[in-house]
Amino acid sequence: MELGSKTSKGKLVASGVIPFAFVILLIVYLFGSSGDLLDVGVSLPEVTIEKIAFVDGEIQATVRNTGHIPVEVVMADVNDRIQPAAIEPDRFLNRFETALVRIPFEWNESEPYTVGITTEDGTRFEKEIKAATQALKPSGELVGYFAIIGTYVGIIPVMIGLLWLPFIKRISKAKYNFFLAITVGLLLFLGIDAIEEATEVSAKFLAGSFNGILLIATVVILSFLGLYYSGNKLVKRADASPYAKPVALGLMIAIGIGLHNFGEGLAIGAAVGLGEVAFSTFLLVGFALHNTSEGFAIAAPMAKGKPMIGKLVGMGLIAGAPAIFGAWIGGFAYSPFTSIVFLSIGSGAIFQVAVAILGWIRKEDDKFLASASVVAGIAAGMLIMYITSILV
Amino acid sequence: MIIILVIAVMVSISYFIFPSISDAELEQKIFVTHSGAIVKTTGEILDPIYSVQTVDFDPDKFLREFNYGRVSMLEDGRTLREFTIIAEDDKTMEISPGIFYNVWTFNGTVPGPTIRATEGDIVRIKFINNGNKQHTMHFHGIHVAEMDGVFELVGPGGGQFTYEFEAGPVGVHPYHCHVMPLEEHIAHGLYGVFIVDPKEKRSPADEMVMVLNGFDTDFDTENNFYAANSIPFYYEHHPIQINTNQLIRVYVVNMVEFDPINNFHLHGNLYYYYPTGTNTVPSTYTDMITLSQTERGIMEFQYTYPGKYLFHAHKVEFSEKGWVGIFLVKENPENSIQGVKYGTWE
Repeated sequence: MELGSKTSKGKLVASGVIPFAFVILLIVYLFGSSGDLLDVGVSLPEVTIEKIAFVDGEIQATVRNTGHIPVEVVMADVNDRIQPAAIEPDRFLNRFETALVRIPFEWNESEPYTVGITTEDGTRFEKEIKAATQALKPSGELVGYFAIIGTYVGIIPVMIGLLWLPFIKRISKAKYNFFLAITVGLLLFLGIDAIEEATEVSAKFLAGSFNGILLIATVVILSFLGLYYSGNKLVKRADASPYAKPVALGLMIAIGIGLHNFGEGLAIGAAVGLGEVAFSTFLLVGFALHNTSEGFAIAAPMAKGKPMIGKLVGMGLIAGAPAIFGAWIGGFAYSPFTSIVFLSIGSGAIFQVAVAILGWIRKEDDKFLASASVVAGIAAGMLIMYITSILV
Repeated sequence: MIIILVIAVMVSISYFIFPSISDAELEQKIFVTHSGAIVKTTGEILDPIYSVQTVDFDPDKFLREFNYGRVSMLEDGRTLREFTIIAEDDKTMEISPGIFYNVWTFNGTVPGPTIRATEGDIVRIKFINNGNKQHTMHFHGIHVAEMDGVFELVGPGGGQFTYEFEAGPVGVHPYHCHVMPLEEHIAHGLYGVFIVDPKEKRSPADEMVMVLNGFDTDFDTENNFYAANSIPFYYEHHPIQINTNQLIRVYVVNMVEFDPINNFHLHGNLYYYYPTGTNTVPSTYTDMITLSQTERGIMEFQYTYPGKYLFHAHKVEFSEKGWVGIFLVKENPENSIQGVKYGTWE
């Protein structure tokens, strides 16, 4: 018997490995002898300028080989005028390899600049910056500045939103479901908003070879599944006591919104860091109004439980504070790739929270989606977000 | 298993996100560049001054090289000058340090050889097309229609044609391929200079040829590089040496494509300019001429004071893309002006 199970195990492993072996054989074959046979078409060099930083008397461009063939960077230019430059560590770039091109240049504040990179075959790649601003260096002052922005955008609006809790507590069941449904609408909007933003970043900064859209789709779904799994565990554990369940749901929402606000903070920090946004009071007001609804989303399920001020404040922080960390990272160490990943994680998290709340409503409401309060709530939530988003 | 997967994913992601950090020597090297900017780096320098030695066309040689052909006397007493010109279109030339471009050439270089004859000479050119496309030679000047190099296409792979005409009129003229699409054939480098000297020789001078040209290496119908004699910035870091109080004569031909005009500005001096070189009287005394496509002429000047003098396109875009050079004027040992010093420079 034992022997039999061993051979069947061996067969199982073999049947799993054999297709892999054939894939490897195929790859070896294609790269090997028949390489010339399949060499149709022309592979063109492609270099992407991922980031341009303006420092004292110097323009720094981070370039990446995003094509299918190795390239050699041989020249740099500013506004299509040849400039001497240094390239570190060296000018030969393999696939996906990056280098820093440092161009000594007395640039002028807030003027537009186009930086160009030419490869050995004479092809030129360029990137335009609308207004040059001194690259941000981490300093106590700036860290504080970003913390304040993050507080205004993240923590304060969420806390204000939480103040609706006593109001939600006193209303009837139908009205309560209506408000929960509003939350679902808000969250759906935020999730789509994050995908839109990630798409924008991908189109603007990410080289085509990264498959930006598919990256977003993959991360959104992975994030959704990950949180769905851990969220369910959290709620199941909370099932033991009837009062803990609203807290568990509130916590899930807070974490989802926190992930979302981290992505939002990244975007804000990056925009300031890249000199693309002059941070105005108007913009802050827009973000604050927009994000107040997030506090409401946390407060809605919590209204069913015991009033717990400490927990509520904690959740406000979980939801709001990531905006500060996001702003720091976005401002000081911007990378389009991380930005897209975090925006997508936030989006997936938000969708999972929306699904969790819908589940909660279904338990409370017999008619569920057919009831007027739920339908009206979701619609109202989306509309509120759309209107406040115009302000941003 | 899952942990290993996660770590693998994290490592591969961080590889994409973060610029590779070199663990090679981090020694700072200092470079003085063509623009005068100082670059300190642990990496490599990107500048036309460095590695220019590898460029296989020699602008210094081209500058003062005139081809008079194989000379023989015809029965009627006229001079016959025979040339052999071979066209090719598969060469790759390093037109600026590190940048390789498919040039189409007459006798292997861009520009092609400078052909020189005296007014009334018979010029006979055996043209061989070793390229993969049809090519011709079209001379600006006076000749019979069959010698115009427009309708008599010379086939690829060794096709031949003999151009024969009487040199004239006096002056400096371009020659170029005239096969359609014309812009493509010219922009790839099929052009050169044809000088017709007057029978009564011009006064002795330090003579040189400057073909103002450019290269569109990314084929967007805009030049990426400009130069006098093909190599960007060449004469800036290999200054042309001349003497004070010596007549300098520059045969200048504008072969830049795509841009409607080019121009020539000389520093610390003015020059007499003879448009097309057809008249013995200069049209102007200036430090700035404007040249349209194939517009050309002769510039004559001499420097009184030694030193370094720029010459460049005052269409500054062109000079910042390579059309700039320096005359290094040395004290003429034969007739120097002693003890003249102006200004202070520390």
